[in-house]
Amino acid sequence: MHRIRIIGVVAVLALVFAACGGDDGGGTAEPTGDAEASAAGTELSEYGESVDADPALVEKALGPVEDVPDIVLAAIARADQDLDQATIDTAMECWNSVECDTGSGGELIMGVADGGRGNVWRQVTHMEAILQALTYPEIGTIISRDAQWDEDPAVAEADIRFLIQAGADFIIGYPDQGTNIAAAILEAEAAGIPYIPYSAGYVGLPGDEGALIPGEDYTAIVGEDLCALGESFADIVNAEAAPGPVGIMGGTPGNALSAGWQRCFQPALDDSHPRVGPAADTYWVNDFALQTVLGWLSTDPDITAYAYEYADGMYTALDAYEQLDVPVEDITIVVRTDEQTLFCDWVDRNEPSYRIFFSAGGNFQSRVAVTAAMLTLQDYEVPAEIIVPHVMREVTDSNCDPNRVTETVSGTSMVPDEVLATMYPEG
Amino acid sequence: MSTATATRRAPSSSLTSFVVASRYLPVYIAIVLLIVVAAIWAPAALRAPSLRAIAPFGTFLAIAALGQMLVIMTGGIDLSVPGSITLGAVLVVGVGDASDDRVWAAIGVALLAVALVGLVNGILIGGLGLNALIVTLAVGQIVNGIALRYYTSVAIQTPVPTGLSEWASSRFLGVTRTFWVGVVLTLVLIVIFRFTTPGRRFQVVGANPVASHIAGLRVNLNQVAAYVVAALCYGVAAILLAAFLKTPSISLGVPYLLGPIAAVVIGGASLTGGLASPLSTWAGAFFLAGLNQMMRVMGLSTALQFVVFGLVIVGGMLVSGDRIIRGVEQVLRERRGDGETSVVGATDGGSG
Repeated sequence: MHRIRIIGVVAVLALVFAACGGDDGGGTAEPTGDAEASAAGTELSEYGESVDADPALVEKALGPVEDVPDIVLAAIARADQDLDQATIDTAMECWNSVECDTGSGGELIMGVADGGRGNVWRQVTHMEAILQALTYPEIGTIISRDAQWDEDPAVAEADIRFLIQAGADFIIGYPDQGTNIAAAILEAEAAGIPYIPYSAGYVGLPGDEGALIPGEDYTAIVGEDLCALGESFADIVNAEAAPGPVGIMGGTPGNALSAGWQRCFQPALDDSHPRVGPAADTYWVNDFALQTVLGWLSTDPDITAYAYEYADGMYTALDAYEQLDVPVEDITIVVRTDEQTLFCDWVDRNEPSYRIFFSAGGNFQSRVAVTAAMLTLQDYEVPAEIIVPHVMREVTDSNCDPNRVTETVSGTSMVPDEVLATMYPEG
Repeated sequence: MSTATATRRAPSSSLTSFVVASRYLPVYIAIVLLIVVAAIWAPAALRAPSLRAIAPFGTFLAIAALGQMLVIMTGGIDLSVPGSITLGAVLVVGVGDASDDRVWAAIGVALLAVALVGLVNGILIGGLGLNALIVTLAVGQIVNGIALRYYTSVAIQTPVPTGLSEWASSRFLGVTRTFWVGVVLTLVLIVIFRFTTPGRRFQVVGANPVASHIAGLRVNLNQVAAYVVAALCYGVAAILLAAFLKTPSISLGVPYLLGPIAAVVIGGASLTGGLASPLSTWAGAFFLAGLNQMMRVMGLSTALQFVVFGLVIVGGMLVSGDRIIRGVEQVLRERRGDGETSVVGATDGGSG
């Protein structure tokens, strides 16, 4: 009953906003003139969202892509914020606390259930979600749980159950434990709490045993088309890397993101690029990535390519070359994220035969999850899979910004510099 | 039993040494087996670059294991190792502030902080007599929390001072300098246990705390000291690890919960306290590092690596020092035709 009342309030607010805020049907970053898209944009405006995102901001987040879904555009449009100090202070309080009051007086509670937050990527992604939530006055409380990459799925499940008990109106996050936490996710959905993971955090890849189905078992998923991402990686390795073994690394064992792209990457490799071994689980921890590459390189110094999601982990892993006196030459790296550390290191090395191709950091996908959840609460039917388009780009000198607040942040992050400077005062 | 009879039945000094030393044999046999298996299925794991890759991580594990060994020698166990290592590493980063001028301050603060953790453990266990397993687990959690808070607010993905990381990357005699730090530490412990009164007393107290107490030895102080010195070992491992990794993460302590215990057990230590060998513990750590490397070279999946690692620890327990001693004793009894000879708990030649 309480939830219905909240949804009613949200709907009325949305209608008032729509009435006052114009009916810009919006377009895409690359206007397609697609009547259907325009209609969808108009439809979203009725729910208080604008799809009129700044094309420059869209390109910053995604690269030069086309056919951006309206929900993604709506999320990016909201990300275009001028933040005052009070908002930054609130965001920082929420970022540092398990529970915070946004000060809006809103009745909705946003729950964040993260499998781990021990690296900058996760922390920035968390901040993106918080900043997005602060654009919704209906959200009055943010509760954030962090399972600290505990290998025991009960920890991550307990976090979700805690959020259910705390009265969360929706839950977003990255389910590192995949199907192992399916029961808690089903409990949330059964309690009427939409669960929307981001960063292609499928609760088991579709077709896998025990996998939950987005749109049926849980509300929706935000992320790239993982198979297409894996094939994009393979296309680059096949075309650009010298013949030789390829090192493949992923995150936590069994996580959907890694499994998803690796499943299509490996078959798409041509015969001149055998795997150096099975894909290694690094937990997205830099130290583990280094140990993995040390192990591979010590027996196979002729590795010509690496595929990994995590650019900063790759940056640390390259130390293995120094440790073993192997020159960083004739190497092609394909990564998903775009932390500046790897790119600035690439600039410093100035080695023409060492090349990096990247997709997009994807931090902002947590913003899409927040927006999708808010739409869901208004009974808008969000797609079961909100596909964020990707495009591979080669790293150039321009991808290293020496003035970035901290090198470890993805270049594609939409968290403003003034917030990053507060998050990481040491730089 | 008369004195003469006791003298007649007591094993000779060389026999005692043999029996005691036999408890440390399995780790060396295991290393030989590992080399044989690697030579057959993963010969690349035995090449120089591979051994160079093992050296640093084997050293970090060995130093942490030496600390754990000191605690186990008192009959205790320390599960706060991951927290202590993480705390030490993030303090090196945070206090170091990427400035070479602050290297020594960073090292000092890191060592001081982990020593404090050891002191808390020691007081709660040695002073108040609380259960070591529970206390160190709880203290480890607290320390983890503090490290996490410090990491996320100050030290996240920040590099250690360049001078420190360059030192860790540099080599002496073709091997990373961190390796030599481990060697020196091991030698120091061997010398202390073999040739100094405090070292021998430390082993005696661990082997039989009740008798030691009656003999006037300060058992509680011994335990407190063991936890503090062990924590300093974790601190050294943390500093070297941070220096080697350059940008340590909050998870860097995770592999050091079971790894050091496994190294100590495989190294033939008595889990009931007393006997342990720094050299065998060091060998146990490098055996585990080598095993990890071989599994990577063989291309085993993460799941299979976990299984193999677990099996090896179980195997280590099956051929643990105490079981070896009992086996040797059994053989001696059968040969002598009596059941009275016992060398368990003997400390002569027990370490090193």
